[in-house]
Amino acid sequence: MRRAVRNYFVFLSRCARIAFAGDWRYYAWMGLLTVICLLGLNAYCRQFARGLIVTGMSDEVSWGVYIANFTFLVGVAAAAVMMVIPVYIYKNEDLHDLVIFGELLAVAAILMCLAFVTVDLGRPDRFWHLIPGIGQFNFPKSMLSWDVLVLNGYLLLNVHICGYLLYCRYRKTKPGKWFYIPFVFIAIFWAVSIHTVTAFLYVGLGGRPFWNSAIVGPRFLASAFTAGPALIILAMQVVRRVTSYPSPDVETSRARGAPPQPSKHRAATIEDFALLSRDLLEMATVPAETRRRVLPMAEVLEVQAGDALLRQGETEERAFFILRGSVVVVREEGGRLRVTRTAGAGEQVGEISALNATPRMATAVAEEPSLVLSLSADALRILMESPQVNKIVRSRMSERLLITDRALMTLRSIVQVSMLINVFLLVNEVFKEFYSGNLHDASSKYLFVGLEHHHALVPWIWTAITFNVTAMVLLVLPVSRSLKWLNLTCVLCIVGIWIEKGMGLVIPGFIPTPLGEMMEYRPSLNETLVCFGIWAFGLLCYTVFLRMSVPILQGRLSKENEAAPDRPGRSPAAATPLRA
Amino acid sequence: MSKPPSSPAGTPAPPANAMGRRSFLRTSAVVTTGLAALAASVKPLLEMNDLPTMQQFLQKYYKEMTPEDMAKVLKRIEDEVEKQYGLRPHVRDLKPMDGVEFVYCLNLTRCIGCRKCVHACVAENNESRDPEIQYIRVLRLPDGSLDIDKADHFYAPDAVPEKGFFYMPVQCQQCENPPCVKVCPVHATWQDADGITVIDYDWCIGCRYCEAACPYWARRFNFTKPSIPKERLNPDMAYLGNRPRRQGVMEKCHFCIQRTRAGRYPACVEVCPAGARKFGNILDPDSEVSYILKSKRVFIQLKSEMGTKPRFFYYFDV
Repeated sequence: MRRAVRNYFVFLSRCARIAFAGDWRYYAWMGLLTVICLLGLNAYCRQFARGLIVTGMSDEVSWGVYIANFTFLVGVAAAAVMMVIPVYIYKNEDLHDLVIFGELLAVAAILMCLAFVTVDLGRPDRFWHLIPGIGQFNFPKSMLSWDVLVLNGYLLLNVHICGYLLYCRYRKTKPGKWFYIPFVFIAIFWAVSIHTVTAFLYVGLGGRPFWNSAIVGPRFLASAFTAGPALIILAMQVVRRVTSYPSPDVETSRARGAPPQPSKHRAATIEDFALLSRDLLEMATVPAETRRRVLPMAEVLEVQAGDALLRQGETEERAFFILRGSVVVVREEGGRLRVTRTAGAGEQVGEISALNATPRMATAVAEEPSLVLSLSADALRILMESPQVNKIVRSRMSERLLITDRALMTLRSIVQVSMLINVFLLVNEVFKEFYSGNLHDASSKYLFVGLEHHHALVPWIWTAITFNVTAMVLLVLPVSRSLKWLNLTCVLCIVGIWIEKGMGLVIPGFIPTPLGEMMEYRPSLNETLVCFGIWAFGLLCYTVFLRMSVPILQGRLSKENEAAPDRPGRSPAAATPLRA
Repeated sequence: MSKPPSSPAGTPAPPANAMGRRSFLRTSAVVTTGLAALAASVKPLLEMNDLPTMQQFLQKYYKEMTPEDMAKVLKRIEDEVEKQYGLRPHVRDLKPMDGVEFVYCLNLTRCIGCRKCVHACVAENNESRDPEIQYIRVLRLPDGSLDIDKADHFYAPDAVPEKGFFYMPVQCQQCENPPCVKVCPVHATWQDADGITVIDYDWCIGCRYCEAACPYWARRFNFTKPSIPKERLNPDMAYLGNRPRRQGVMEKCHFCIQRTRAGRYPACVEVCPAGARKFGNILDPDSEVSYILKSKRVFIQLKSEMGTKPRFFYYFDV
């Protein structure tokens, strides 16, 4: 027990340490975010001291850009499930390595949501009145109390799921199904609920006809499932970019052509299997006669640091188990190399393409002098007749950080469908408001065309509509299959939806007031600074989460290398130059 | 965003033991700069308007206070007001009276739009003068229409009444089914037995959800610390009524609890020069409001389609 606690604290402290380590670009980015955070904090302290008078809000428009951002970000958080559903329900392998990034984004988004509601409070010092038990919690009557519950619940769920999966990956143990699968399914349900509850905050107000419409809930979900995955598409490309480095000699490494010739190889013996069983306990279940049957199809390679076991793009049906030492798997994309995982003693490389007879997805290079068991595909199949071996080999297949273009395209189709639904629902709303021409359309008139010489929001909403419709067209066209266009589309989606459901939904609900007074709203400089501060805080959190999780997913930060975490030999720099 | 421990372009990090003094100096420089930046960021807190004291911070919820707790709190409020305004107020915790349900009737034929009620209300209830908070909004409507979208809130003629217009003062309608009470996440506002919806100013967290929920735009928020000239302070106060509010909390019309729960009329009723405002106990069959509700043909309950059931009735003489 004490050992487990100690291990966990070592894990946490290593994660914390790695958050402060990086190259100059990392420091520059984090420094910039910290400065913006501090500016925001400064603005908030001014607001805390003088009151909300430093914002642009008034008794007429009593919620502003804080609540607008809050609403948008609840959507982003909810959209993390759009990665989870395909993976856990439809067993989509492409998105597998993105799930954790999606959920970490949800965590960062919820933290920002909580910050935005907190800065909107007139008396943040009385937050404890909201805590059930010691305060007075108006549950279930107040939708705001529901929101407090579901947001904090969602935060805990995602922190647990991400934390647990990452810790298992760090320890290189298989996650226990019962420790996370039930929570994953609860989280799916919960994600829909956080956004529905947030929509109900508005829908439930009979005195505000602009919000009091049943379609607001579905619109919230549609726009969330558009903007959230769009944000993840962009974030994943950033991760892909910064975890890779320029390939020094792509052309020459391709031109080399000839299969690698490891320094030494010899026939495998039964002792080699015994050695493997030490690190891969499941191998011990394979009966001795099966092992003997496999022997002729196996050999042992003694490789030096920098030797390649297999090369990306080649088709060759051999799989490798590491007996001693370690191997780094590097994938080349667009002239850049990226570590997708590392394999230590007892782990396998090359099994997917061997079993499927498909081209190698990456190049595997020894990081240090290593001993490797090389098996033919048939030999691997024979070994996998043992259920235990089958299970461990299959479960490890997904342990890699690929972020393939195919995964991004799966996300693209989610964004595509959601955006179509989103625009369709918007058309429904606009039709109902304007065609029936009843007296409750003043807010919509104000928003879309302006009312009584007040039209502050008109340029905004038309920008949003232009962006959304352009994005929709681009998403439907095949052109958005190219990453350049897809990125543009995603930016249009995010900005369009931020305007549409942030400022475009919260502000017009207040204009005109229930007594027919026209009073416009414009965020003050101080308010804007607070918003920038919170966004910077969210990005800071997400950056730190990625900084910790990427090396864990790559296998670079694991319990095995606890003793010598930053051995220079372990850096990809040492592994990159492939020895011919 | 994130980077692997080192890139091919980067130099390998020196071993840990070689870092020694230089790294220590660098770390302390970074930490010092960071702390200085942090201190500079939180500096505006020094000009704090309304820092709560420990007693204020830990004060219990109104409905959970014992009479002794309440006595202490009332004394504390009196001390605070005396310290700030140089005048010892009399703060009471007035409970609803048995067999009383208040109702308000407003005669639209008589109202001349003079806004005397607005100012009497401000004076009586210690509403902030800067920024200006008023519980009553008088709407000027063209004859023949009750369409609120046509209302003029800022009419300023030389003399009232004006030809072709009538006036409709709007304040808290003291709904029987109040949307504002339902949405409050912390029970800081509730409806008392005499029908008055009150606010515990010391419990409100200032989320302004009630302000968004109210269909009558009757609630007001203290965007900053309210300011009342010392000589204008009304020292006759009630806990749930007109005692001075803090920054960041909601307030609204409470039918002048400090008066009505002690058997007096609200200030707006007393001041009305046209006799347009009537107030009383609907449970008393002989009260003026009972008589009006029995004898007049048409009443307007604003936005009755909301199902809020206002206790505020507008009527005409004919």
